[in-house]
This record gives sequence, C-alpha cells and structure tokens, in this order.
Amino acid sequence: MKFDDAIKKSIKAFLDGKLPEGLIEAQGKDIIYTPEYMDDLAEMPEEPEMEEDDG
Amino acid sequence: MVELMADAPIPGENYLSDTRNYPWHRPPEIVDYDEAVDYLIGRLGEPEHSELIYSLIKLKQPLTSIVAGLMMQSIGRGKFAIDLAILAAGPIYRYLEILADQNGMEYETGLENKGRIPITPTTLKAAIGIVDDEELEPETETPNAIIDASQGLMERPETTEPTSADDQAMMLGLLDDEAENADAL
Repeated sequence: MKFDDAIKKSIKAFLDGKLPEGLIEAQGKDIIYTPEYMDDLAEMPEEPEMEEDDG
Repeated sequence: MVELMADAPIPGENYLSDTRNYPWHRPPEIVDYDEAVDYLIGRLGEPEHSELIYSLIKLKQPLTSIVAGLMMQSIGRGKFAIDLAILAAGPIYRYLEILADQNGMEYETGLENKGRIPITPTTLKAAIGIVDDEELEPETETPNAIIDASQGLMERPETTEPTSADDQAMMLGLLDDEAENADAL
C-alpha cells in the first residue's frame, strides 16, 4: 500500500466515525480531535469581527 | 594489474554512514496524537501556509493530496513518525473541509474513485473475453464506406481495355517528331 492510499484509508475511517482504539489504549487517555469534535467545530459560527472603538 | 573501477557501495557501507543527519532517522519530536493535530492546525494558520493551501484548493487539488503533502513535509522534518501522520490525517482533512466550506470554496475531496470502472456483467465478460452472439451489435456503415469510391482522384478507370500500342509509344516519347507533326496536321 502506498502512503497516499494509507492516508485516504485513514481519512475514510475517520469520516466513518472510527477512532484509533489502539492509540487511545496505548496513550491511556482520551483524544480530543474525534470525529464528533470536528463536527461540532464545523457547526460553530465563525468568530465575529471585533468592532473598532471610536474613542 | 587491472584495477576494477566498480561504482557500487561496499557491502555494509550503510552501517558506516551517519544516519543522524536526517531528521526522520532521529526520534520524532511529537508522539502524542492531539499534539500532532495541534501542530498541523497551527501550521495551517500561518499566513504562508494558509495562502498555499487556499491556492491549492482553488486549483482543484484534492484535499487528500494536500493532507498527504503536509504529512510528508512534517515526517521529513522529523516532527512525527509515519504511523502517527497516518492517524492524524483524518482530523486534518476534516479541518481543511471546514476551512473550505467557511470560505465558500469548492473543493475536490480526492476520495471518489473517478478512474474506477464499475464491475458489471458486461465489463466482466469483456475482461474475461466472453463474447455473446446475442449481444453483438449490427455492423454500422463507417463514414468511409458511405463515400462513393468512384469520385476520388485515385478512382479505377471504367474501361479495363489496355491502351493501344501507339498511345503507349506516344506517352513514352518513342514517336518521331515528324510523325507527331503529321498527326497534328
């Protein structure tokens, strides 16, 4: 398998909601960047522009 | 004595070279999944990187290729190992998607199988070499066959009779000038 194919496979797995279980187990802690976290990030409104003070 | 000029590495030469010169031969700087994603998202936020990424997306470069390029660059710099790069590809791809969507940019995902030919009974038969008589389409006339052959420059003469001996001699220039003049008169 080529590197690009491995990247595509990983992306597809992530989009299907699969988590790197082995990595979580090895690290012994939950990961932050889960598919749900990224979905929440996508739904978040963009940061409003700061209004400049006249004074 | 003949000196052998072999331009090939000596067996075991690789054990003598200093591999510490390459960043990817040293232990990676980042070994944590979230740290790796943080690092990559941080890099995407840098102006020179974001400009390049936006340009690539506008040029319809697939997002998967952009992610693969980013990962290769980070591996080459010794930031993290290949396995962690592959694991971190998912969130980075999703982040690029979010960026593109928020900026109203159309993008190629790179996940579609555009070059793939779907497997159907017909394609399978064609691959194996099975040809059904029933499925053979009637032969259609090609445009070349429709053209009337008699109208071409290289058409075959209508008469098949050979040219007379006098005519042949005249064409070959064997007749005397006098005889030609007499004929002309």
